Amino acid sequence: MVSIAEVSLTKVDRYYEYSEKDLAIEVYKQLETKLKERPKPDIIIVSSGYMESINKSTLSAVKIANYLGFKGAKTLRVENGDNGGAAIYTAYSFIRSGLANSVLLVGIDKFSDLNSKQLNDVLATNLLHEHEYHLGLTNHAYAAILTKLYMKKYNVSYEYFTNWPIKMHDNAVENPYAYLRFKADLKTIVSSQLVAEPLRIFDTAARGDGASIILMTNDEIVKKYTDTPVYLDKISGASFDYSYDLDLPSLKLALKEINYSLSQNDIIELHDSYSIIAALELEELGLEKGKSLNEFESYQVNYSGGLKARGYPGAATAMYQLAEIVMQLRGDFPGRKAVGEKGIIISTDDLATSSYVSVLRR
Amino acid sequence: MRISPPKNWRLKETLYSVTLGKCENCGNVMYPYQPLCNSCGSTNVKKIVSKGHGKLIEYTISYQSREGYEKAMPMAIGLIELDEGIKILAPLTEAEDIKEGSEVEAVLRRITADSTNGLIQYGIKFRVINNARDNR
Repeated sequence: MVSIAEVSLTKVDRYYEYSEKDLAIEVYKQLETKLKERPKPDIIIVSSGYMESINKSTLSAVKIANYLGFKGAKTLRVENGDNGGAAIYTAYSFIRSGLANSVLLVGIDKFSDLNSKQLNDVLATNLLHEHEYHLGLTNHAYAAILTKLYMKKYNVSYEYFTNWPIKMHDNAVENPYAYLRFKADLKTIVSSQLVAEPLRIFDTAARGDGASIILMTNDEIVKKYTDTPVYLDKISGASFDYSYDLDLPSLKLALKEINYSLSQNDIIELHDSYSIIAALELEELGLEKGKSLNEFESYQVNYSGGLKARGYPGAATAMYQLAEIVMQLRGDFPGRKAVGEKGIIISTDDLATSSYVSVLRR
Repeated sequence: MRISPPKNWRLKETLYSVTLGKCENCGNVMYPYQPLCNSCGSTNVKKIVSKGHGKLIEYTISYQSREGYEKAMPMAIGLIELDEGIKILAPLTEAEDIKEGSEVEAVLRRITADSTNGLIQYGIKFRVINNARDNR
C-alpha cells in the first residue's frame, strides 16, 4: 500500500526574490516541522515541466537533492509537460514495486521569471514541434478553437463558460494558498482581456510560481512519520493525440483503466487549464455533454480554486492537487471544506493529450 | 539563436510544403509525414505531397503573441480539414473576410526572423481562395 505521510506547499504567487532553490527549501522546511522524524527518502523525484527552458537549469533533481541535504539519494526528474500526474505515477510505481520505501516528491515551476510573450513561447513547445511550434501557434489558440466548436455543437453562448471562473474565484477566496483571492462576476469576465477569440483571460490558467513537496512511503514505515496518513489507492494514465471531437480520449482511457464512476461524495481536483478543458474533463467524468458547466456545482470540484484562481505553477500543479486532497481528507484544508472519504486527482497537460487519475482515501 | 538552419533543412517538407503520410495498410493519413503508421503500426506508408487544399472548419483571432512572432499579431488561426481528410491547425493569411466553411489553400509565407543573425523562417499559411481571387 502506498501512503502519503505529509505534504507541504507554498502559496502560488510571483516570487521575484526567490529561486527554485529557495522555494524548494521553504516547502521542505515546512514539511520537516510536520513529521515525527527527518525523512530518509530512497529517491527524490522532481516534477518540473519547464525548469530548463525558463531558468536554463538541468539536472534539477540532483541539485534539489543536494540543496536539501540528501546526498547519496537516487534522483529523477519527470517531465511530461504540465502533467505532474506522471511524477505521482512514478513515485507510486517505485513504492509499489518495492524499489523504494519512501520517495520525496517535489513539484516546482517558476513562471514569473519570464514575461508573458517569453512564457507563451516556452509553453508552445508542448505543441507539435515539427510545424505548429515553428508557425507561431499557441496553446490558447487550440483552446479557443475547441471553445468555438463546443459553442456550435451544443448551442451555448460564451456566457456558459463564465460559470467556471466565477465559481473558481469564489472557492479561491477561502484558500490561503491561492494566487487570485478575489471574486469575479460576469461583467468583469466578459469585459476582460481577449486572449484568443472567444477566450478571455479569465478562461485561462493563472500562471504563477509554486513549490509543493510530498513524502510518500509504503505503509510499513509511514507511522514513523505521521499518525494520520492518507492512502494512494490507485493511479492510472494514458496519452493520446489532440482531439477535435470535444472529448478527451486520454482521460477516458485513464478513467476506464481504474473503472471510476463519479460520485457526489468524492472530493475532486481537476486540471482546468482552460474553461473548455474543465468542461470536457467534467464530461469525461460523467456530467452531461454540453451542460457540465451548468451542473458541476452539485459535485465537490476544485475547492482550491483550481488553475483559474488557486493558480497554475506548471508541473507542480498535480503536487498542489495532491496536497489539497490530502488535507481535505484529513479535515485540515484551510479553505473551503469538502466532506468525503475518497479524493480524485485529474492531472493533465494543458490540452489533455496526457492524463493521470489518482484515487486517494483516508 | 532561435532559428536552427539544420533543423529547418530537416523539416523542409513540413515547413515548405504540406507533405502527408498515407498508410497503405489501414488508410490512416498523417501530418507531418512519418514512415510508421501511428494508427496500425505498419511501415507501409506512402508519402503524399498535398495540394494544400481544404475547408476552414473553425478559426480564432489570437491576440497574445509569442516572442519573435509579434509582427504577426493579431494572428488568425484556422482549423483546416484538408481534402485528404486530416484536420490541421495553421495560421491564416490575407484573412480579411474569414468565414467558416470557406475553401482554403496553402501558401508559403515568411513566419519570423532571427533577430541576432537575420535568418528568416518561412512556413505554410492558408488563405481563403475566394478572397485571394478577389485580390488579384
